[in-house]
Amino acid sequence: MSMEKIKTIVSHWQVALMLILVVLAAIAIAPRFEDGKFTTNLQYGLDLQEGTWLQMEFKAVVAGFETDKDPGDFAKAIQNQTDAEVYVLDKNKIEIRKYIPREDLETVFNTAGGRLTSYEQGVSKQTAEDVKRILENKLNALGTKDARVNPLVGLSGVSHYIRVELAGVSMAQAKEIVGRQGKFEIRIHTTGNETENVLYGDSITTVGVPSHDSPGSPVWGVSFTLNQDGAEKLQKAAIRTGAVSKPDAHYLDMLLDGKVVYSAPLSPDLAAKLAQEPIRQLYASTGTGDAGLRDAKNLEIHLRAGALPVDVVVAGSGFVPAELSDYFKLMCVVAFIAAAIAVGIVIFLRYREPAIVLPMMATNLTEIVILLGIATFIQQLDLASIAALIAVLGTGVDQLVIITDEILHEGKVPSPTLYTKRLSRALGIILVSAATVIIAMVPLALMDLSSLRGFAIITMIGVIIGVAVTRPAYGEIIKEILSK
Amino acid sequence: MGFVGYNVNRYTPRQMMVVPAVILLLSLALLGFNMASFGMPVRPGIDFSGGTAVTLFTPDSAEQIRASFSAYPLLSVGEGVNNGKYLKFGPMDDASLQALATDIGGRYPDAKIDQIGASFGETLQQQALIALIISFVGMTIVVFIAFRSFVPAGAVVLSAFADIAMTAAGMSLVGIELSLATVAGLLMLIGYSVDSDILLTMRVLKRQGKLEEKLAGAFRTGIIMTTTTIVAVAAMWVVALVGQITVVWEIATVLLIGLFVDMMNTWLTNAGIIKWYVQKRGGK
Repeated sequence: MSMEKIKTIVSHWQVALMLILVVLAAIAIAPRFEDGKFTTNLQYGLDLQEGTWLQMEFKAVVAGFETDKDPGDFAKAIQNQTDAEVYVLDKNKIEIRKYIPREDLETVFNTAGGRLTSYEQGVSKQTAEDVKRILENKLNALGTKDARVNPLVGLSGVSHYIRVELAGVSMAQAKEIVGRQGKFEIRIHTTGNETENVLYGDSITTVGVPSHDSPGSPVWGVSFTLNQDGAEKLQKAAIRTGAVSKPDAHYLDMLLDGKVVYSAPLSPDLAAKLAQEPIRQLYASTGTGDAGLRDAKNLEIHLRAGALPVDVVVAGSGFVPAELSDYFKLMCVVAFIAAAIAVGIVIFLRYREPAIVLPMMATNLTEIVILLGIATFIQQLDLASIAALIAVLGTGVDQLVIITDEILHEGKVPSPTLYTKRLSRALGIILVSAATVIIAMVPLALMDLSSLRGFAIITMIGVIIGVAVTRPAYGEIIKEILSK
Repeated sequence: MGFVGYNVNRYTPRQMMVVPAVILLLSLALLGFNMASFGMPVRPGIDFSGGTAVTLFTPDSAEQIRASFSAYPLLSVGEGVNNGKYLKFGPMDDASLQALATDIGGRYPDAKIDQIGASFGETLQQQALIALIISFVGMTIVVFIAFRSFVPAGAVVLSAFADIAMTAAGMSLVGIELSLATVAGLLMLIGYSVDSDILLTMRVLKRQGKLEEKLAGAFRTGIIMTTTTIVAVAAMWVVALVGQITVVWEIATVLLIGLFVDMMNTWLTNAGIIKWYVQKRGGK
């Protein structure tokens, strides 16, 4: 092919766009040798990388209610009856952080003077995010380098499951990490920098969510309650050290695993009360504004000592050993190459014309490279998404065949006007079929069927790249190559 | 390419539709029978019924493996080439599960383990069903918007439905269970199957020319399209079979069955209906 021809081909913006994208994709994938090993920026999911996945179910309920009472009072009544933490989500939904079967909950609601209107196992999106943050903190603290925590939020906004993926960790280790709790301690300053133990985390009975210290106040903080024993220990320590009379000289430190996570004096008000009696209901303020809220959220996690606000049970789990994941990776490459060769042979048998077959295969592979380039940013590859990739290879060629056959009606390249008409007709067919594929994949991409999300997303991106970039480009290329 | 010998213009619409209609009825009967026996149209795998799947490579025979794990509810031991083994266990409690994981880790440190709890499986089942319904309804809407005409759109939707029903029946005949992977395969078919149907309908309804020529032209293009997809999927199928990659093999098998079934449904069912439709309208 002459330079002239290549120039004409590239001057079409569709072709230029495709080439720019493929270069960008190659940069994104960044294939290179590091320490003598071939690496890329592609992210692998657990089938193709050693590690463990745990899918955990929240033992909690989000229930809709109807009542004539004040929602807050109603929630309190439910809390008292069920002995569970209860939060009002909005004016007719509450979250009960304990699993209670629907029938039992209906009775509870009736007794409390209301009616159950909806029932769903799980937690609110907000709570699910809290759990995610707590788990991530724990995993980071342990230096687990490649951990992914994803709450699976259903269409109703309730999260029933949370999925944790830990690369390079065995299943037993993973379960231990997730279940492990830290050691929480409160110490009081005696003289100078000396401190002594007041109580441990087992004295804390409940921990609230970040809140303002009083309605309308700009100050954020976290309330928590101590059991009777803890409250007495705190009172004794405060009196013994003299903190009740001189709070500022005797700060209280909160430590998690031996590290100070919070330090503040008793408030004058609390100091005065403690001189009289043990106090069980406490509030730790963290400051105002966004910084105060952020600190309050962290403090909440620390107070819970890494325990989750909601009980979870493992609903599903899996482990892939390193040897097998490397083997799967190799097999995927083999399957992909085999599929590409097979497709090439069929196309060649059909057209017997390198001038058609080569651009067709080149366009198709370009599409895959662009797809992989985009995938480096948004999608980890697992076995199911590799299957989708190979399927995209198949459909991609399909549609290039449609274009070729539409344009080359009776084996000749038509005049420019007829060409445009035919190309747009071919693209019309492609557009409708692309729309159906995308529609068919949307539910999988949105739903909790976690391991299939990758499959759906890869298929959808593949179809979109095809329709928007590579197929129009192919239309131009084939026209230029075939017109003499 | 054995199908090339088929002449899409040789038979009357009625003759064309008899074969697929009979197969569709048989498939639906089989699915109904399964529904009565398993509560699902295709026997559910562990993804949906709960249980544990283990993939490992070992020269130990299936009998040896059965003996090693006799303490657990071992359902089946699948054997592949390369000493690959695929073990399936029924649902068990947390303690046994932990014991099993430790046991497998001790004997076969390079085993891949996947475990799905029974209630999780049920959730997945519901979600998969919803996904399938939404996909199908969405596809129907797109097709009706694209053609804005009842019979041609209905023909496309009918052949997509037939594709799925026959493929599901086919799965059940070759013993593939319904799993997340195979549901993905079935959904993929919704997308694939309309591909050639749309080509056929567009060519016949929107192009000028004789009906026979348009049908023949559409057939020529359509068959090569499906063939390229089939060879891509077949290559994947062979590699997955030899390499013992169960997930990919299952998806590939479903797609292969579906693509062959789709050839029939496109060029007999859909082509039959569209031919009848054009002839009835006094088509040229």
